[in-house]
Amino acid sequence: MNINIEFYASLMKYLPPGKSRFRREVKVDDGITLSKLIQQYHISEQEAHLVLVNGHFVNCGEDRDSRELAEGDTVSIWPPVAGG
Amino acid sequence: MRLSQIGEKGQQAILDASALIVGVGGLGSPAAMYLAAAGIGKLILNDYDIVETSNLQRQIIHRNAAVGEDKVESGRRTVEALNPECQVEVISYQMEFDELREAVDSVDIVLDCTDNYPTRFDINRACVETATPLVIGAAIRLEGQIMNYQPAANSACYQCLYTHAYGAEESCELEGVLGPVVGVVGTMQAVQTLLILAGQGEALENRLLLFDAYAMEWQSVTLPKNPDCPACGKSK
Repeated sequence: MNINIEFYASLMKYLPPGKSRFRREVKVDDGITLSKLIQQYHISEQEAHLVLVNGHFVNCGEDRDSRELAEGDTVSIWPPVAGG
Repeated sequence: MRLSQIGEKGQQAILDASALIVGVGGLGSPAAMYLAAAGIGKLILNDYDIVETSNLQRQIIHRNAAVGEDKVESGRRTVEALNPECQVEVISYQMEFDELREAVDSVDIVLDCTDNYPTRFDINRACVETATPLVIGAAIRLEGQIMNYQPAANSACYQCLYTHAYGAEESCELEGVLGPVVGVVGTMQAVQTLLILAGQGEALENRLLLFDAYAMEWQSVTLPKNPDCPACGKSK
């Protein structure tokens, strides 16, 4: 199935080659979980601080392990920021 | 005040209000200046650093002539030049928690304009314990985040989002930051502070704003309160 991934800020480096600075449409296994997707792109748990599916916040830990993605979903991932 | 959303009542609330700004750097600079310009009654500026030449690219409250001076004194001068009616107090050292809590309790709202997790956690805890509204900004490189804690609405707090320190601390000094990016975030903190003071904070409750300047994208996220939050959770 196809989903959209959006990796922001310092996570852009994990995107496969493509045109947009932050978004790709990618093919993944049907029913892949969020945790599996994050692992697939080699993003560590620390880096994947904020994960959104279709704009909705998904808690880390269990929610990410159990959350299965569907065709057309958009997954956005943001790193932590503490500087100023 | 021509804006109906703020109105006379809101403007009066801003004139009567006091705010503690922790950190007079890249975030605190525009936040302090916009609050002073908007007519806020009193600002307490807290920072223990001195102005360095490398700060001037983004910390616009400080001028070249202030290099070597305490940031809070430099900040006070700019604020007073902007609005002599605004009362300014300065604290030029890092407060222990009890003193920080007291300072937080003495004001109407707090702005977290700092750059590290331990201080952010202390400020958040002091605000939760004293039921004081808090507006938090963070930025580095080309990215930024803004959120707020509104105790009257029992909203999510900083540690609902950052339960613990995430990885090694990154500083703007070492990682770099595009000057206006901290300016955007600090300015947005001023916007949220004025709305909350004017009684218009409802639309901001449990909202986290994420800004990626390189992608030129904003995301607005609903942030759920974490029942296990180490600062405001049920066990507290």
